[in-house]
Amino acid sequence: MNPISGRVWLFGDDLNTDVIHPPAFYSLDPDKVRRGLFHGYDPELQPNLEPGDVVVAGRNFGCGSSRETSIRALKLNHIGAVIAVDFARIFFRNATNNGLPCLTFDDPADLERLTTGQRVSVDPDRARLRTGDGTTIALTPPGEFVRQIWAAGGLLELLPKS
Amino acid sequence: MSGRTLSDKVIDAHTVDEHDTNLFRRVTVDAVLGHDATTALLIDDFERRGVSIWDRSRVLLANDHFSPPATAERADISNRFLAFAREQDIPNLMLDRGICHQLLVEHRLCQAGGLIVGADSHTVMAGGIGACATGMGATDILFTLATGTTWLRRPETIAVRLHGELPAQSAGRDVVLALLAVLGESGAQYRSLEFHDESTTRLGQDDRFAIANMAVEIGAKFGVFVPDEVTEDYYLQRDGEFLGTPVRPDADAVYERVIDLDLSGLDARVAKPWSPANVVPLRELEPVRITSAFLGSCASGRLSDIAAVAEELADRKVHPEVRFVVIPASVAVFQQALRAGYVETLTEAGAIVNHSSCGACGGIDKGVLGAQDVCVSSSNRNFRGRMGHWQSRTYLASPRTVARAAIRGVLAPDLYGTREDS
Repeated sequence: MNPISGRVWLFGDDLNTDVIHPPAFYSLDPDKVRRGLFHGYDPELQPNLEPGDVVVAGRNFGCGSSRETSIRALKLNHIGAVIAVDFARIFFRNATNNGLPCLTFDDPADLERLTTGQRVSVDPDRARLRTGDGTTIALTPPGEFVRQIWAAGGLLELLPKS
Repeated sequence: MSGRTLSDKVIDAHTVDEHDTNLFRRVTVDAVLGHDATTALLIDDFERRGVSIWDRSRVLLANDHFSPPATAERADISNRFLAFAREQDIPNLMLDRGICHQLLVEHRLCQAGGLIVGADSHTVMAGGIGACATGMGATDILFTLATGTTWLRRPETIAVRLHGELPAQSAGRDVVLALLAVLGESGAQYRSLEFHDESTTRLGQDDRFAIANMAVEIGAKFGVFVPDEVTEDYYLQRDGEFLGTPVRPDADAVYERVIDLDLSGLDARVAKPWSPANVVPLRELEPVRITSAFLGSCASGRLSDIAAVAEELADRKVHPEVRFVVIPASVAVFQQALRAGYVETLTEAGAIVNHSSCGACGGIDKGVLGAQDVCVSSSNRNFRGRMGHWQSRTYLASPRTVARAAIRGVLAPDLYGTREDS
């Protein structure tokens, strides 16, 4: 998976999918889904996103619904990666299955070293985050199975070809 | 070899391929559940890849989010979903019959000891009758539709032993809120919650569904009750016979943690905005004036929930400044409530009874909240903005507490007469 470079958007613990992507923006229309990202939380956030930006959060990121519109919204806004202390299981699966890298901090205390707006680069395969001033933050390497899905380009690429 | 938990046994029995380098396994599933809102998200990929369903008799599809649709856009999504289900010739397409999780536990596809996946987080609810059921996203579900398998990790298990005697006015909702107060929103993350009902009166089946349903609010992969005579009665009533293979944990099963919960004296609990784990005993709550009350969603809206509310509303009136929306979890439940006279009692008292669907839970349909609204709800999530406006506020409580608050117009600490009044 290619390294990602962008700005940090920092969030707290237990950020649920209804906050990531409010139900009112549920749709099959990609433009509507894209505009819904974090809309209730801060309506000004989505228009200011740039490709490669990185979502950074505390514990239990993505708890709640299984609706993949939350993943679609992150991808349609070209969020490059989500780095958190840990993830809710359905969100982690959905993101991984769709090739959006989710990584956890090797040391959860490193969350304190990141702030919104900071420039970072993330190398998912090497499980490493670098800040603009050259600091390296270790992430937990994903397991072999997750790497396999990343390498394939998503879970559906592992389907037997018909 | 050390003893195995319930979910260990179910996963072992379904394993087809073990990844030796890590804990992932490929497992077969016994049933797949999907609804309009999430299934609609996989249809494009399904068609583009020319997928065929591995066994359509094991698929249960229900339109419950948009039933019937409230906007033209949702009608289009609903139509797309229904056309897909009909093209695929799904025998278990439940058209406008209620909430998919309720329809699953009303169906023979759901059996004790089964492994079930569904395209909705509340699929865990089938654990109320001894199935290991879990929610996934559309991509995972498409993979399962194509292969009849999925990948998962064997979860650690937290045993929850329920002791004592639950007070008559308390319900499964109060039990699971008490558990959320202990574990928080991620206390069972990636874990299986295994419920052992050792209480003297035994929880009723509807209370078990309420608890299993909200296991996902604690982060759990499964929330499964160890089958007992209550479970067996349920299956006998539903199927006329016991078809499943009830799986029980070994006596020496290895648990990550054991939680003992004494139900004696467990009084009403409330989750304050904006987290299901933001729980306090009702008696410690500052009074809150409410504008809205909701009984419904897959977390409640079953017959005993509606019966409790009917008991409260009999010969009383809903407060004139409160809108009380009631949604039976399925059409079958709706019909039972009609026959029992509950619907007449509720409507006489001023409540609105809507068609079986997800309704305002998830901010979808009639009864969504405006900025000024304060709602007391028996649904499963009070996340900010979930039921409507970002500024609206939702308190989660048992059906009986919802009804008492709807009558009083206030979610008050003395709804159960902690002062002199009965």
